[in-house]
Amino acid sequence: MSGKVFAGRRLQSSPGKHRSDRVIYRTFFYSFAGFLFLYSAWLFCSNVDQLFVTEAAVKTRALTGWGEDQGIMNMFAGGFWKDPYFWKSLNLTLIITVITTVISTALGIPTAYALSRYNFPGKTVIEVLFSSMIVIPASSVGLCLIVMFNYGPFWDLQQYFGFRFAHSIFPGMIIASFVLSFALGLSAWKATFESINPRFEHVARSLGSSGWRAFRTVTLPLAKSGLAAGVILAWTRAMAEFGAVLFFCGTFRELPAARFSPMEHALGIDRADFLSVAVWAQVEYGNVEYGFALAFVLVLIGGAAVFLMHRIGAKGYIW
Amino acid sequence: MIEIRNLNGRLGDFLLRDIDLTVGDGEYLVLLGPTGAGKTVLIEYIVGICRQDSGEIRIDGQDITPLYTEERNIGYVPQDYALFPNLNVEKNIAYGLEAKRLPRPEINIIVERFIARLGIDYIRKRMPLNLSGGEKQRVALGRALAMRPTIVLLDEPLSALDENLRSVMARELRKLQQDSGATFIHVCHNFEEASDVADRIALMNKGRLIQTGTLAELLRKPTSEFAARFFKVTNLFPAEGRGSRLAINGVELVCSRNVHGAVLAGIRPEHICIANGAATEGVNLLQARVIAVRRKVSMTELELDAGIPLVAHCMGDLVPQPGQQVVVSIKPEDIILI
Repeated sequence: MSGKVFAGRRLQSSPGKHRSDRVIYRTFFYSFAGFLFLYSAWLFCSNVDQLFVTEAAVKTRALTGWGEDQGIMNMFAGGFWKDPYFWKSLNLTLIITVITTVISTALGIPTAYALSRYNFPGKTVIEVLFSSMIVIPASSVGLCLIVMFNYGPFWDLQQYFGFRFAHSIFPGMIIASFVLSFALGLSAWKATFESINPRFEHVARSLGSSGWRAFRTVTLPLAKSGLAAGVILAWTRAMAEFGAVLFFCGTFRELPAARFSPMEHALGIDRADFLSVAVWAQVEYGNVEYGFALAFVLVLIGGAAVFLMHRIGAKGYIW
Repeated sequence: MIEIRNLNGRLGDFLLRDIDLTVGDGEYLVLLGPTGAGKTVLIEYIVGICRQDSGEIRIDGQDITPLYTEERNIGYVPQDYALFPNLNVEKNIAYGLEAKRLPRPEINIIVERFIARLGIDYIRKRMPLNLSGGEKQRVALGRALAMRPTIVLLDEPLSALDENLRSVMARELRKLQQDSGATFIHVCHNFEEASDVADRIALMNKGRLIQTGTLAELLRKPTSEFAARFFKVTNLFPAEGRGSRLAINGVELVCSRNVHGAVLAGIRPEHICIANGAATEGVNLLQARVIAVRRKVSMTELELDAGIPLVAHCMGDLVPQPGQQVVVSIKPEDIILI
């Protein structure tokens, strides 16, 4: 109700301006999103019987020289959805990205709040560190992780406890996808908190609320759409992680079943790859059609996530 | 009673130095000063948003410095009112009462009382985004006063309102303060606004407390050049005291007390009396020529040359014309000596 009244007031004060802006914006957004979706769907459906755009795949293979190592090509009959590797990889990616997003959210929201509201020693270091994560190549992040965990005290610690982080699903893949997911989520959450006037909390506390109640009853409701958009962004970034996961964890498809823990077998994530790595692996092995198909699955998931984020982020209070 | 002793602090670019201030129970004090004087910072120290570097703030004898904001029971209305945008008017007013965990029927009674008292029944279900400046201010006041605070801090409460509404709300504020019996500290930068509400005014500049007193005291006896200029003592001259006489640029005036040496002499424009035509009897009579005449809303401002440049305010319809010779008289007790 309030939104309508507000919209009415704005329209009244400057007739047509906001409304026409919104119409243009929506037309552009839905046209663009619709085009992407329909084009993806057309490509996908028109070739569904032969897996994917065979002709395009053959041309790509000829141009790039990918798939010279035909010996390890994933020869399977029928659609990729009949291949356990696809489902295991999808499963693995969803599990890893959900865990990563939960950890990023649990650590990122309090960190973002602290960065937006308080001054403390090392604040600039944290800000620069995680902002730079967004701009440096993910492969460099992966290499940094290798250096960090495969040498020095961290390596000694892993040796002592008899496990290793690098080239593992748990926790290696989570660590690799966490770094950028956290960095991107943090910047979104921080921007959200910075957009909320701290005066609300000051007033809430002057009215007898504890710091937590002021946060819970005032800041959180105002921030919820921004925070939710940040969660989706963190999840999408984790989903899109490639360089860091490839460098730090590599691929698991060719490993023997005994290499995986009973839990990994139980979860159905053994001998599977992170989807973005699987795309690369399939194309690299010569299965360009398979790579295309996986890539479009990722495009659709990413597109849906951004659309959802947009829907959520578009709501909220503006001042 | 609020006692602030030797308070010093820095907040960003703002610096507060050696603030000593006492505010009595049920008093309406206005913290007055230009932008950047440190008024809001002082308010934030009192409410507990930030902590001072040194000095203490006592309320009824208790040092409140170690207390959190929520433990101080101080009503606070910030400049932008900071109404919670996610709650409607009723819920904004009830917010603090819910934090106190009062029973729901009691909360409803208090909210109803304030809604009726502030005349905001027609907007009770509206969200803050849909309120005008005056409505927002009433809701913010209701929200603060519903907690029955002994002290209420208002940061520029009238600055967002238009001129007409400002004087109406100033009277309303004064009445609310009298009804609640709370101590009000009101920050503003406009001394006319201060004169509408204040029992006492504390003048601040550049992080220091310059002078405190009633409006009449501050108008009559500013103790510094800054205070004199702030309270619009337009005619301010360096002078030399010779006992009960003052020499200002060759013009001699009689003053009400003995002074010696260099002083600053000030005359308020409204204290300069204009007489058309021949000189009347009395002291401090000066022949002056009218240089310019400026018509204002409630008076006419005259620019005069009486050997010294003077600005005088003239009431009524008999206004001299530019170039006309007039006689001005200044009462000795109206000459401000700094």
